[in-house]
Amino acid sequence: MTDEHRKTHLACLTFPHLALVLALRAHPELSGEPVLVGGEGLGGRRVVLAASPAARAKGVIRGQDWRRAGVLCPLAARLEADLAAVAELRQQARLALASCSPLVEWGDDASAYVDLAGSDPVRPEEGARAAQCGRVLKEALGTTPSVGVGPSRFSAWVAAQLAAPGRVRLVPPGQTAEFLATWPVSRLPLPPETTERLMQFGLRTCGDCAAITMVDLQRQFGPDGILLHRLCRGLDTAWIDPWREPPPCGVRRVLAGGVEDSESLRFGAAELARGLAQELARQGRAAGRIRLILRGEDGSQPLASADEKVWWGEVAPPVPMATADELMGPLLSLFSRAYPQAPVGVVELEAFDLVAPPVSQVGLWQGRAANREVIQRAVNRLHDRFGLGLVWRVEVRPGHLGDVPEERLVWSSR
Amino acid sequence: MVVSVSSELTWHGRGSTKPRAGALGLALSSLNLRYGPGMVHTGAPPLLQGLPTGVDALDRITGCQGLPRGRISRLTGGSASGAFDLGMALAAEVSRSAAVVIIDFSLSLDLGYIEAYRGELDSCWLVRPRKPEEGWAAARALAKAGAALCLLVAEDWHRLTPSAAPTALLTALSEGDCAALLLGGRLIPAALKERISLELECWRLDWALAHGDVCGLRMETQVIRSHWGAPGSSCRMQLHFPRAYQMQVGLEGLAETVPVEDSEAELLQAVGG
Repeated sequence: MTDEHRKTHLACLTFPHLALVLALRAHPELSGEPVLVGGEGLGGRRVVLAASPAARAKGVIRGQDWRRAGVLCPLAARLEADLAAVAELRQQARLALASCSPLVEWGDDASAYVDLAGSDPVRPEEGARAAQCGRVLKEALGTTPSVGVGPSRFSAWVAAQLAAPGRVRLVPPGQTAEFLATWPVSRLPLPPETTERLMQFGLRTCGDCAAITMVDLQRQFGPDGILLHRLCRGLDTAWIDPWREPPPCGVRRVLAGGVEDSESLRFGAAELARGLAQELARQGRAAGRIRLILRGEDGSQPLASADEKVWWGEVAPPVPMATADELMGPLLSLFSRAYPQAPVGVVELEAFDLVAPPVSQVGLWQGRAANREVIQRAVNRLHDRFGLGLVWRVEVRPGHLGDVPEERLVWSSR
Repeated sequence: MVVSVSSELTWHGRGSTKPRAGALGLALSSLNLRYGPGMVHTGAPPLLQGLPTGVDALDRITGCQGLPRGRISRLTGGSASGAFDLGMALAAEVSRSAAVVIIDFSLSLDLGYIEAYRGELDSCWLVRPRKPEEGWAAARALAKAGAALCLLVAEDWHRLTPSAAPTALLTALSEGDCAALLLGGRLIPAALKERISLELECWRLDWALAHGDVCGLRMETQVIRSHWGAPGSSCRMQLHFPRAYQMQVGLEGLAETVPVEDSEAELLQAVGG
């Protein structure tokens, strides 16, 4: 499948290793200096867990023997990794990214992948969603990540490598091969001997390799040749292995037998809304945002498009929702966006941005305030469904006596 | 949707005319269980409560003391008949005590009418749909949310009315106990026409004058379709236009026995003409 046919994209976020982030947080005076953070490697051997850019410039790489790194960069400050703090920070960063997408793969504490599929009415463009991922990660880590967006895992990673910190680099749609053409083969995820042979053949960039047929590459490099061909042409199909943390508040329903009809799915919305409302009431919170996730019956059939095994969508009404009635409207709008192409086996509804529920003292309501509040909630749901500019409130402009309505009246859509 | 079941059902072909209470009761209870209590009831439907218009004469001829709640009504009339002004004046009257939603399919309605007829703009929500479906969806949602009056204004109902929209609106109106009033457009599609419970036709009797100015409109309104009474009853009203020199603005019922000339004389006397 070419990337033209792929509708969804991945975001790759790269950032300094968490051990280095914590070390520099504890010793801010070492910022910009060569720093080595050590830890225990395989077999109890002491290795470099993280190295600052200044140390990497001296040839230090992750996983290197601690003594060897000391020889390469003798002036580097050597610190010990606080693994418990790293695990805590990792958890915070994971949860932050999970609030942006249900499909997040946490890499090697220095990168993360986020599936940008799904529907977000607030940020319909993938670039905006990727930028949001970068923002929440920056808030969690205190350091600015680089973000790359591409149709495949490898192209997204390359885009992230090319992006400056705090920037989002997008692979142009349909031009993945051209985008990767200048990428050096020495930085491809291939065995060192394969890379060395490529250099001997004079193939230094992905563009050089893309000009050669797959058959010829396979003849020379075996299975690595096929992988090389796919990587250089942007055809790699490796997707992410999502990590999943139970949401702070949510309900999950396993359907008896797959349900393919969206009308039947909507029929169960009331039960889902009631379940989530009960859970919210138990916690004494209201949801600022809800997310609907539909999973396939057996997990193997694509649910939304050819690549997506999971459909999900989010909605964030202006007013937090706490009751089943308040949840129903946004939930139905989410169901109306879902068109599953295969039987749905599991329906999940999750609540985010939990806040204290809005409180109204009934005895203090003046006149028709209660009725107006209900109508205003309905108006908010309409705005969420159809966009602003559908329902208007009008006031008379004070002190103005013109005849044209636009001059005489003040219009507002909120 | 409420289904009414007559208690005098007869069952043919089974050798008995007595209703099978067991099977029917089971079916009724399962329907009520599935769709909620009140889905099926026996006997006559509950007495309909009207939304008062503020004009006793008009309330009397509708047969339900005002605009029927949970139903669709329509105001028609020729050019300069006063139907549009009557609709806006009714909306202004209702807005003083309840929420009013105005679905402006024509996209040209001046909400200043409500303010001019001394209505409360704070109780009004104006919907300007970009697509017809948005307008019908907004009408349904806001009617269910508790609006007392849903005023739908359009010029070309044929183009704007999906076939299923009137039925869905009627369901929402019943749920929210809201009255709907159609305004504008001469011809309406059959799907909408057959859902209308009350249709009023207006025509102008004459203009009311004061200080050489047109200060109002005397009009007659006749019921041409009603589900609660015989059509044909009518009433006369005077609509006082908003003028700086007028104390009274809006609708005023006129006694049917009062000739128009006498009414004009009284008015001129009242304003010192």
